Amino acid sequence: MSLGKGASASGNPLDRRDAMLGVMLIAPSVLIFCAVIVYPLVSAIYLSLFNIFTPTLQGNFVGLDNYAELFAGQEFWRSLFNTLVWTVCTLFLQVVLGVAAALMLHQAIVFRALARSLILFPYFVSTVVAVLVWRWLFNDLYGILNHLMLWSGLLQMPLDWLGSMPNAMISIVLVGAWKYFPFVVIAILARLQTIPDHLYEAATIDGAGAWGRFMDVTLPQLKDVLMVVILLRAIWDFKEFDLIYLMTGGGPLIATQTLPLMVYKEAFGLDAMGRATAVAVAMMLVMLVFMVLYLRKMGREQAR
Amino acid sequence: MKRIAFNLMAWTIVLITAFPLIWMVITSVKPQFELFRIPPTFWPEQITFEHYARLLWETPFLLFMRNSLILSFSTTILVVAVATLGAHSLVRFRYRGRERLAQLVLFTYLLPSVVLILPLYLMMVWLGVANSLLSLVIAYTSFALPYALWLLRSFMQGIPDDLEAAALVDGATRMEAFFDVILPQALPGIISTSLFTFILSWNEYLYALVLVNTDDARPLTTGVMSMLVSSFNIEWSLLMAASVMMSVPLIIIFAFLQKFLTRGFGAGGVKG
Amino acid sequence: MTETTRNGLSRRSLGTALGAIALAAPGARTAEAQQTTLRWWSPQTAPAQREAYNFQIRTFEEANPGVRVVFEATSDEGYPAQMAAAFGSGQVPSVVTHLPHFAVATYWQNGLLEPFNDVIDMIGTSNFYEGANRIYEITPGQYAGTGIGNSAANMMWLRKDLMQRAGIAAAPRTWDELRDACRKMQGGGIFGAPLPYARNSMTSLIFICFVHGAGGNIFSPDLEVTVDSDAFRNALEFYKSMRELCPPGATNYSWGESLTAFVAGATATGIYTGRVLANVAAQNPRNADNITCARYPTIAANVPHWTFNDFPSVMIPKVAPNIALAKRFAAHLFRADGYIRQLHAAPGHVLPVLKTISAMPQYQENALIQKYRAEVDLMSESAAAGHNLGWESPRHKPNTAAGRIIASHVLAEAVQRYVINNEPMAAVVSTTAQRLQQLMRG
Repeated sequence: MSLGKGASASGNPLDRRDAMLGVMLIAPSVLIFCAVIVYPLVSAIYLSLFNIFTPTLQGNFVGLDNYAELFAGQEFWRSLFNTLVWTVCTLFLQVVLGVAAALMLHQAIVFRALARSLILFPYFVSTVVAVLVWRWLFNDLYGILNHLMLWSGLLQMPLDWLGSMPNAMISIVLVGAWKYFPFVVIAILARLQTIPDHLYEAATIDGAGAWGRFMDVTLPQLKDVLMVVILLRAIWDFKEFDLIYLMTGGGPLIATQTLPLMVYKEAFGLDAMGRATAVAVAMMLVMLVFMVLYLRKMGREQAR
Repeated sequence: MKRIAFNLMAWTIVLITAFPLIWMVITSVKPQFELFRIPPTFWPEQITFEHYARLLWETPFLLFMRNSLILSFSTTILVVAVATLGAHSLVRFRYRGRERLAQLVLFTYLLPSVVLILPLYLMMVWLGVANSLLSLVIAYTSFALPYALWLLRSFMQGIPDDLEAAALVDGATRMEAFFDVILPQALPGIISTSLFTFILSWNEYLYALVLVNTDDARPLTTGVMSMLVSSFNIEWSLLMAASVMMSVPLIIIFAFLQKFLTRGFGAGGVKG
Repeated sequence: MTETTRNGLSRRSLGTALGAIALAAPGARTAEAQQTTLRWWSPQTAPAQREAYNFQIRTFEEANPGVRVVFEATSDEGYPAQMAAAFGSGQVPSVVTHLPHFAVATYWQNGLLEPFNDVIDMIGTSNFYEGANRIYEITPGQYAGTGIGNSAANMMWLRKDLMQRAGIAAAPRTWDELRDACRKMQGGGIFGAPLPYARNSMTSLIFICFVHGAGGNIFSPDLEVTVDSDAFRNALEFYKSMRELCPPGATNYSWGESLTAFVAGATATGIYTGRVLANVAAQNPRNADNITCARYPTIAANVPHWTFNDFPSVMIPKVAPNIALAKRFAAHLFRADGYIRQLHAAPGHVLPVLKTISAMPQYQENALIQKYRAEVDLMSESAAAGHNLGWESPRHKPNTAAGRIIASHVLAEAVQRYVINNEPMAAVVSTTAQRLQQLMRG
């Protein structure tokens, strides 16, 4: 008896036993979440209703005041805008570069194994180190990027990569893309391995060129993984802290301050954990809205 | 001709991407007085390995590396084992609340780690494992698991139902079908998820910062940072040497795992 | 897949995992050890400093059998989170050193620290430089901690060779002279000064120095906001006029970039601690004979110099275990043999708070200190008489909101608004004043 996806787990005892096995298999995951994350999650939301002094985690109840203050001020909305700009731009680049690189590394090229290792390097290296190196490369006095551009005549004066707009936002988007596109590469490369050859053969017989084969065979096969990769990367990029904090600190002024930077500033700079968690919860709600819409779309795609 | 052009283009892109690594390696073998030449030089005039020597023999770097290796391997094994079973469950079984569960798991992701670390630390203290590698394994597992679950789920969805059905028809139990049929098919996905989980644990900074203070359990990220980077001064040469050495294990592991990510492995189980 | 492979794989990996986790839980065990253990935290953990700490720990353990001291590194960026975790859970270290003064002030204000009077007595009150402890007397009669070193963070560094070439005879004393000198020395790829115009703490801290250089302050002695003053405006004007004499990337400069700009020879002047000496020796020895320092100029010769010292601290949390022992250890850190080693790990950068140490030949025997005697003496004097936002002058009340003010970047943003965005002075001043008042209210 085959267990297709359409079978229902109702009266049949075999089906019920299978369902129980299914539940048992997911149980460890669920247990780990409940045990580890639920308490911090709930306490973070709870703390947002208080005025908390970070070093002692003590404070008095203020209800929704933190939120009121937050939404009434400029800083939150500007930070939200920055976060959206950053996320959309860097995610787009990560996906496009990631898929392109994966396709490229799927072909036979010389020293392919080495090429794959090297292209994954940005993802391997720790963010803090990567940012320090990039700041060095971007430096106006002894950085090699400006030096090369001056030497080749592209520029007359060194460029201020990080301290003015729109350079600052562009720089962090580029470094963000560089840092995380290998994640897309890993996932897509793995999926590419399992696309059966005969699909490509059939397409070639039908007269499809390289682009045609990509659009008609590769892309549909990649769709599932790609949708998940986009979802995961979007969440991760939205929450990104280290890269932006160390690269520009949110400057100039708050032109590159994203919500995670604001949370950190409130939590540990201003010692106001209550306000920080309020920003965090607001962040979560924004992401939740996008996530629900996205998952619904994903569900519809899969049902087709 | 087209082959050569393609190879050239591919390798140019690879080298541009890896340029910071090349810069790091070159800087790490330069003596200190060559660091900040203006205009900047690329090739070192002298090559020295003193920074590596200093790092290895005169600092707790090897201790930090040992901690990071234990931590990352433990987390990866735990996460991948749990997530593989969980993903299989989400894809091949039917029970109430299955979709809800998958989405709820992702929900835990939406808060930034900054607000989670303090309550998490308090929990570790309460459990009696504060300031130990175990607390890091627990914390890292909690945020690597949703990612791993969703990634593996999407890989497993790409495996046709017929494979498992064929095995069941042949008389296998569900778990036997899982180990004999599904796992090999899912291997590229499992490998890539393992790699990603390993890197996540290897590079995590904020959790390590708050949860662990003792050198005995300190991983490379916080160990190297607190040792070499302070607001008034950065030990650039040592930092570059440390960064190269932190990236090397990952490159070796990936080179080893390479062959699992090649064509033919796990592919084409069912024709037609 | 064969039977053995399948089972072997799962069993083996499970075994490894459990084994690894068992190896990894030493924490629980040390807690039950027979010895008394003291934990010492510090964010200053460069390899050279660590060696000095190990020496101090060894000598203390030898003098106190049955006591173990464990050093645990924290970091300049990470200590707020780590201290919060420590205080929140009650698992505090016994001694914390090298945190900036305003951190100590914040913790003291919230009743988290043990008064330091005993330790100061143990070290010997008369051994300190005049008034060195004053800044830590946050509540009258009680010391929240004390300084473990002094840093003169806004010394003006000069290139003697460039000055000579430009025909500048003496170190600039006033702002006009400074601007002039920078103009003359700028050119051929060299900039006048590496002042920061970024949205970070360095910009805020350095700008405070300029406000004082204009003869004013951020707060009055009674902690009223005084940015609506000529001094503040003059400082902004001057800082703006210096922008063209600083490199293009100065809008993102932090301590590292500013330091390296001068050390690498790209700017004619610098603004930094004595760290310059060690870095020039290591990274650019060609310039080693060309550098000197002076106190940073002020707006006019009759406005006294103001040195920024963040007074890296020593403090003891109130709920630390073994308080009496912790106090003895804190005092031990100032014992000549160990203390001098600590100072020599960052010569010129961390200066002694004890005038007795400054006078000792063992302290002076360090190569860098010997070569730059005049500069180090000048820095020691300046730092000892230094101030910061938490205590802007001897007449000021302690300002425990200083940490928050720096972390909020309100002063750095004022600079950026005026200098980069060219917003009108009145608007910048009034916004800054408003935000400062908000921050003071807490």
